[in-house]
Amino acid sequence: MWKNSSLRCLLALAILCLRSSVHSQEIGSLGHPQNLKCVTHNLHKMICTWDVSPRRKHGQTDFCYAANDLPTPVCFKTKEKRVEIPVPHSSSTVTITTNSISGTALATKEFKIHKKDILFIPVAPRVLSLTPDFSTSTLNLKWSDNGSVFPDGLDAVWQIQILRKETVEKVTQVTYHSKLTHEDIILSWNWTSDIPLECASHYVKIRCYINVTQFVGLKEWSDWSPVEVILGKDTDPSESGVFPLDTVVAVGSDVTFCCIHEEGQNITNMSYGSKPYPMIQLSSRSHAIRVLNASASDSSGTNVVCRLNNGMMEGTVLFVGYAPDIPQNLSCETPNFQIIKCSWKPGRPSGLYGKRRTMYSLFERMSGKNVSCEVNEMNRQHVCGFPVLPDQKTYDFILGVSNPIGQAESSLLVDITQRVHPKTPEKLTVSENNSTSIHLHWFINGSFAEIRLLCQIEITSGHSEQKLHNVSMPGGKSSAYTAHLNALHPYTKYQFRVRCSAADHFWRWSDWSRVEEYTTSEAPPARGPDIWRERSSSGESLKIFWKPLPLSEANGRITSHEVSCYLLETPLEHKVVTEPTNSTEIKLGKNDCVISVVAKNQAGSSPPSRITSMELPSDNIITGQAMAMGNGINVSWDSYPNMTCGYVVKWCRSSGSEPCSVDWQKFPSNTTNAVIKSALFKPGVRYNFSVYGCKSTGYQLLKNITGYMKELPPKSAPNFTVEETSSDSILVRWEDIPIEECRGFLKGYLLSFAKGEKDALKPRLSESGNPELKVNNITNLTQKSMKILDLQGKTSYQLELQAYTAGGLSPPNSLYVVTKEDSVGLIIAILIPVAVVVLLGVVASIFCYRKREWIKETFYPEIPNPENSKALQFQRNICEGNKTLKTLEMNPCTPNSVEVVETQSAAPKIEDTEMMSPAADTTVPEDGSDSEMENHVVVSYCPPIIEEEISNPPTDEPGGSSQVVYIDIQSMYQPQIKSEEEPEIDVVTTAGYKPQMQLSVNAMNTESRSPVEEELDKTAGYRPQANTNAWNMDTPDSPGSVESNNENASFGSPCSINSRQFLLPPRDDEDSPKPINIGWSFTHFFQNKPND
Amino acid sequence: MAGADSPSAALRRRDLCARGIRLAGKMRSDVVDLLDAYVEQQGLDASASVAAVEGVPPAAVERWDEQTGTQRLLENLAAYRAFRGLLAQMLEEQREQLGEADAALGRALAAVLLQVSAFAYHLEELLRLESRGPPSDEGDGPPPQPQSVFEQKLRGLGVLRELAQWAVRSARDLRQLAKPGPGAGSAPSPAESP
Repeated sequence: MWKNSSLRCLLALAILCLRSSVHSQEIGSLGHPQNLKCVTHNLHKMICTWDVSPRRKHGQTDFCYAANDLPTPVCFKTKEKRVEIPVPHSSSTVTITTNSISGTALATKEFKIHKKDILFIPVAPRVLSLTPDFSTSTLNLKWSDNGSVFPDGLDAVWQIQILRKETVEKVTQVTYHSKLTHEDIILSWNWTSDIPLECASHYVKIRCYINVTQFVGLKEWSDWSPVEVILGKDTDPSESGVFPLDTVVAVGSDVTFCCIHEEGQNITNMSYGSKPYPMIQLSSRSHAIRVLNASASDSSGTNVVCRLNNGMMEGTVLFVGYAPDIPQNLSCETPNFQIIKCSWKPGRPSGLYGKRRTMYSLFERMSGKNVSCEVNEMNRQHVCGFPVLPDQKTYDFILGVSNPIGQAESSLLVDITQRVHPKTPEKLTVSENNSTSIHLHWFINGSFAEIRLLCQIEITSGHSEQKLHNVSMPGGKSSAYTAHLNALHPYTKYQFRVRCSAADHFWRWSDWSRVEEYTTSEAPPARGPDIWRERSSSGESLKIFWKPLPLSEANGRITSHEVSCYLLETPLEHKVVTEPTNSTEIKLGKNDCVISVVAKNQAGSSPPSRITSMELPSDNIITGQAMAMGNGINVSWDSYPNMTCGYVVKWCRSSGSEPCSVDWQKFPSNTTNAVIKSALFKPGVRYNFSVYGCKSTGYQLLKNITGYMKELPPKSAPNFTVEETSSDSILVRWEDIPIEECRGFLKGYLLSFAKGEKDALKPRLSESGNPELKVNNITNLTQKSMKILDLQGKTSYQLELQAYTAGGLSPPNSLYVVTKEDSVGLIIAILIPVAVVVLLGVVASIFCYRKREWIKETFYPEIPNPENSKALQFQRNICEGNKTLKTLEMNPCTPNSVEVVETQSAAPKIEDTEMMSPAADTTVPEDGSDSEMENHVVVSYCPPIIEEEISNPPTDEPGGSSQVVYIDIQSMYQPQIKSEEEPEIDVVTTAGYKPQMQLSVNAMNTESRSPVEEELDKTAGYRPQANTNAWNMDTPDSPGSVESNNENASFGSPCSINSRQFLLPPRDDEDSPKPINIGWSFTHFFQNKPND
Repeated sequence: MAGADSPSAALRRRDLCARGIRLAGKMRSDVVDLLDAYVEQQGLDASASVAAVEGVPPAAVERWDEQTGTQRLLENLAAYRAFRGLLAQMLEEQREQLGEADAALGRALAAVLLQVSAFAYHLEELLRLESRGPPSDEGDGPPPQPQSVFEQKLRGLGVLRELAQWAVRSARDLRQLAKPGPGAGSAPSPAESP
């Protein structure tokens, strides 16, 4: 029992200690008010709550609190266990007395509340609004910071949570910071969803934390605000479609589309443009696709289509483009001081059109005026007008550019008095003062009263260069402007046009006005015409010529010329010659007079031009040559100091036989040469000029000159003939070329000659390139003949003669001449060979006589040696006997069988096919011990075609003697000589035709022809009698024929078609000594000689 | 209807019908071209199925052969008056959506609108010849504008398709009407049924 009471005491003591540790002091022993907690939401008031233990019914509670700043404790009664009292500065003492229902105090407890024990929890924020922007998928959240209850300058932290879908999945949580300003501020926050807001429901809640640094108590986050929701379209049973609806995004954006369909339907597929995309399920009625990095769409946008299983489809259109570029080259100017036109280049097209197009606005900062600009999106240059404001010269423009994707701007500060670009001058008219002076009037729409205008007048006329005339004038208000132009030319058609700009601050010229044409009126001709006169050949009349005045001096249309003839101021004759005649004739007889010519037009007469009819006598008139200049004729003359009034060069415009059409040109006294040019001059035509000197008393002929505008080669060559011919020389003579055919000044002749027969196809000598060609250049034009020496006798020569001028050579004239025979030379040519032959004969006779014994022994011994007798060579011809070798006849010849028995131990020389045949090779033992059977050959024999061969025995077989081997030429094609390796030879034997010669086996072996080609050759019905490949093309006795490697020469030689005799000798085996071959060749040579 | 026609009225009706047939043929050709251009320009699937256009009587009709000439003309007139409003709306939408971007399509649309108006006037002339006179063009006002650009595109496609069909039907209606005498309202051969 003690133990229990002790335990209780200990427990009560522990509780007491615990109580004191929570800073509350309990008065009384019964467990009454306890767990006092104080929480503040605004740092001014705090709410204190406590518990009463044990729980039992009680009456009102007396609550008193005292603090240092309170003079007396504040007490009040409360029925609740919750009171709101001020937050103490440092600490507060609270006394809570619990009364019974009857009003008696049950228990009193005192608590000490320190400020650090107070908990600060802000009130949960209240969302003022949550607004969705479906077009941008943006949520806008608005709430009040409730700052009025807090001191100024506190930091507030806001935590916002976004949740999505029916499952309320947390999408994001963001922290928002703000500062409290002791006022209730409405805060706003935007959040853009990555999926359209229509696609799923979105939820938002918010809480806050206020960081009161001077508050020492505990601080905690507020509670979450009530959840705000934006419902998705999938929650509305009647809604369906593809979202977002008709949105605009920038190129490269990632966009999510969702398709909401009615309950019970299914989506077949979803596509963006033409490409299907994988679907993501958002809810039972909502599916989405995500398009990454969207590219620019067409002008009508990119369709997003959702196909349903019932065949219908839903869709939306996405417009993908670019944010506007910063406008480039912004420039403003005024055309009339009424409107300012600003132009710029838009840069990269946005790719958005219609109501999504880029919009432009012009804002003027000084006046605050704003105008929107209507521009054509398709134009490269955009223009916007802004009205000119009264009393404002400087404008500070901001060109704002915006489209659904973005915006940009460009600015420009401009003084419009320095940016004047006047409109095009209109109503250009001309009024005349006189023939050289006019007034030009025009009108410019615009008010230019504040500036001076500079106008430029372009004056164009037919006979002068284009001129620009600048005129400055004060500007006016929509007024006409006038400029005075003088120094114009009478009777001239002018074209005028005008443009204007600001005079003081040039910016730009206006466009040119339209062209106004005006012709000035006529004035009297400026001077008299240029005149000349010629006396007729009879001297009875005088012809007067004048040149038409140039338009610049005629000052109008010349109607007539008045020609008068005065003798000492007394008019002898007066004539009026109407246009277009430019000459007249006056009968003067032998008299002389002064001629006066006056040109007249509508406005008056020109000053008179005078010339005396008298021509001063002159002596020793020389004729010179003028130099052709290609485009004119250079005429020169000496200087004559007494010619005081210049020179006149006169010529006939016409040429040849045409009547002379006089032309002339006057030159001042210091001139001594002139290039006379005329469109009538022709190349190659000779013109005659006369140079007259002018004195006060009249004109005097000084010199005659001939010349060409351009020298050409003579038209024809001079005719020439051969006057005389000897065995070594030819004398030729030629005639002059007519002047009209010279076509230039003749410089000389070229006489060419070379050996040559007359041949129509032969080229000209000069072109033949004949190395023996000799050319004589005759520059002496008086020379008309020439003797050509050192020629060969009895030889044909070709002669050519050409004339030449500075323009070139004429065509040649040709002749063929044969020189006479040189008889002495011929005689010498005959006699010398005869003498040499006779001399050789005598020497040979002497030699033979002195060596007669040796000759006899050698050629005609007592016992003749058959080997040395050529006559015996023909004994081998069995059929013909001693007959000399000649073309064999095809008489029937009965073949004899000749048995040749080989008795010699040395191997016989086997001819051709047998030798070449491998089979034959095997039959010839190398040791030379032939069996009789092998050498016992029976051959068919045909005398005319016997091939005989006298072989010298090899040097290593001295014992061997000459052998005669008879071979029937046909036997060379006998099967027995063919090897099995050459089956194609068999084909030859079966062919209907056999050639008369043996083809070289070796040649066949070495030839590259294919067996097929060979087959074709062999099976052909006809075969030529000669293998041209096998023919030896060298002469039989040439060294080449002996040394050549042609192994089939024997039977390769061509045969006579008639006789079967070989026309060319067979060739010895190469091993055979050469002398033998030469001996045969000589014989054959004489046989074949006639055939050559 | 036309049974008591004077020879000149019959001649006039035949002439109007012949010209109307030519106009319908030209209209059909232009609408088909425009349809191709429209489908391409709007990025649509040419085979896409489109709901019937509100306000336009369907070209396909049952018992077509039993219709009288006046009925035919009245139906045609109602259809073309509806088309006139729809095409004008399409033209306005086109301007709003594309601005100056695709002027060629706008020009083609305007040309077809002009033809539709001319054809409606032509039908009114024919109705006047029928001694009936055309009904007043009060209508129900312009059809409701589609909500989204995609709906505009689809409705445009539907309008042009229906117009192309109506052009065919109109030609056949007028051919039927041009037949002399009471036969104008008689049944055509099966091959001629629209």
